[in-house]
Amino acid sequence: MRYLRLIDRFIKVSFVEEVSYRANFWINLLHSLLNLITGVLGVYVIFGQIDTLRGWSYAETLSVLGVYLTIQALRNLFIGPSLDALAGMDGEVWSGNLDFTLLRPMSIQFLASFRRWRLFALFDLLLGLGVLVYAAISMDQALSISNIAMFLLTLLFGAGILYAILLAFSALVFWSPGVMFMWIFDGVFQLARYPLGLYPGWVRLALTWIIPVGVITTIPAQALRGGLSMERLAFSLVMAVILILCASIFFRAALRRYASASS
Amino acid sequence: MNHRGGWALIKSSWLSWMQYSSFFFILVFGWMITPLIYMLVWSGAAGTGTLGGLTSGEFIAYYLILILVNQLTYSQTNWTVGDVIRMGDLNHWLLRPMLPLYNPLANEVAGKVVTMIFVIPIASILAVVLRPELHTTWDKVVLSLLALAFAWLLRFFWGYWLALLAFWTARADALLALQDSLVFLMAGIVAPVWMLPAGFKLAASVLPFRFMVGFPVEILLGQISRQDLLIGFVYQAIWAVFAILLSAFIWRLGIQRYTAVGG
Repeated sequence: MRYLRLIDRFIKVSFVEEVSYRANFWINLLHSLLNLITGVLGVYVIFGQIDTLRGWSYAETLSVLGVYLTIQALRNLFIGPSLDALAGMDGEVWSGNLDFTLLRPMSIQFLASFRRWRLFALFDLLLGLGVLVYAAISMDQALSISNIAMFLLTLLFGAGILYAILLAFSALVFWSPGVMFMWIFDGVFQLARYPLGLYPGWVRLALTWIIPVGVITTIPAQALRGGLSMERLAFSLVMAVILILCASIFFRAALRRYASASS
Repeated sequence: MNHRGGWALIKSSWLSWMQYSSFFFILVFGWMITPLIYMLVWSGAAGTGTLGGLTSGEFIAYYLILILVNQLTYSQTNWTVGDVIRMGDLNHWLLRPMLPLYNPLANEVAGKVVTMIFVIPIASILAVVLRPELHTTWDKVVLSLLALAFAWLLRFFWGYWLALLAFWTARADALLALQDSLVFLMAGIVAPVWMLPAGFKLAASVLPFRFMVGFPVEILLGQISRQDLLIGFVYQAIWAVFAILLSAFIWRLGIQRYTAVGG
């Protein structure tokens, strides 16, 4: 309860901060629309040449893009900005302001994950959901309630996996200040715009087991079109739970290395 | 005109950039990812047959060369010109006894040297692993190098005039983002230009963006008729001259209203 009240407060403070820079709104709008348009047109151009791509139709591929945009929006809503305030350039670890955060009587991981909100990402969330709805309507099969339920579950697990990866990468800041690992991850995460099945075998293996970004977007899309086996559902749940646990333990261990920065 | 000073500036920027080489390697990794995704998508879609006149191996060749060309013509310098104007660092440029243009040029050369140290080995490894098929002739190589030189000229000065708008508005960077999106869609990155849907293809053949990246690659692969080649060179030259004149014009207007303190 106390944590929910705090999140409410964090959101309000972030909102006030965000609306103080009103001119940024139009630039954000432009970037969001460019992101949407290039993504959708990318899929459109490919399917102008072919009807199916290794078993994925136009609508199904579009649904993977929809999941990608939705998950990215969730990330930019709070996980990204919060972790960035901790570990990013000029973040708290860098400046030494983490001293004050450590003094607060609550879970540091909670603070590091929920403190900053970027409410403009709600617009991106709408765009992502819009692509998803459009893709779902244009699919050949009718949507069933069970498919939608499975989809929402796997989307949640996917977001959890992404959170775990980002938390672990942010924890690396206690060893080497810098944002390089995050940038590399951002590059690799781009691959999740398309279904895993499109890529050659070795890329697929790497994106399932080494950096599981493929799991984050492809499995929810499979759930939406129907035909996701119970094993896959269980796989994605187990992976999310294990990764979040490991990342939390790692984050705690990393935090112990912190040796302040101020004089 | 002080050209020896210019050369000294180029050399010193290049040496100072080398100190941050790992930073640039990661930046370049991010830029390479997008063409790599479409390489995997298209070569997978072609399978054992051909698609748009290219086999799977030819798609790999197309995109490997495109990665090199994209990196050689991409002008990362122009993203910083706006900051230089806003922060007043432009004062340093103006005080040096040489053409101010030497400063962004020095950055440009430095950037190319550092990024190529990374891009060429990666592209070579990919070429060994993915086995591209390339059939070309010497006259095509020469023509394509000529097109590459113009492509660089065009892309650099096109970005430069956009960046110089920072004399009037603090938001000129948004136009650079828009340019990157248009390059993605129309310069042969999302798909080779001749495979785009009709409307796009028409726009791409007239607008400057295709001549910044895709055009030299098309020539090298021989995917262009003699007549289109000639028309292409004419368009490329016209756009390049236009961009240079426009930058000179905007520079002259902007510098008259430029004021700064300190720097």
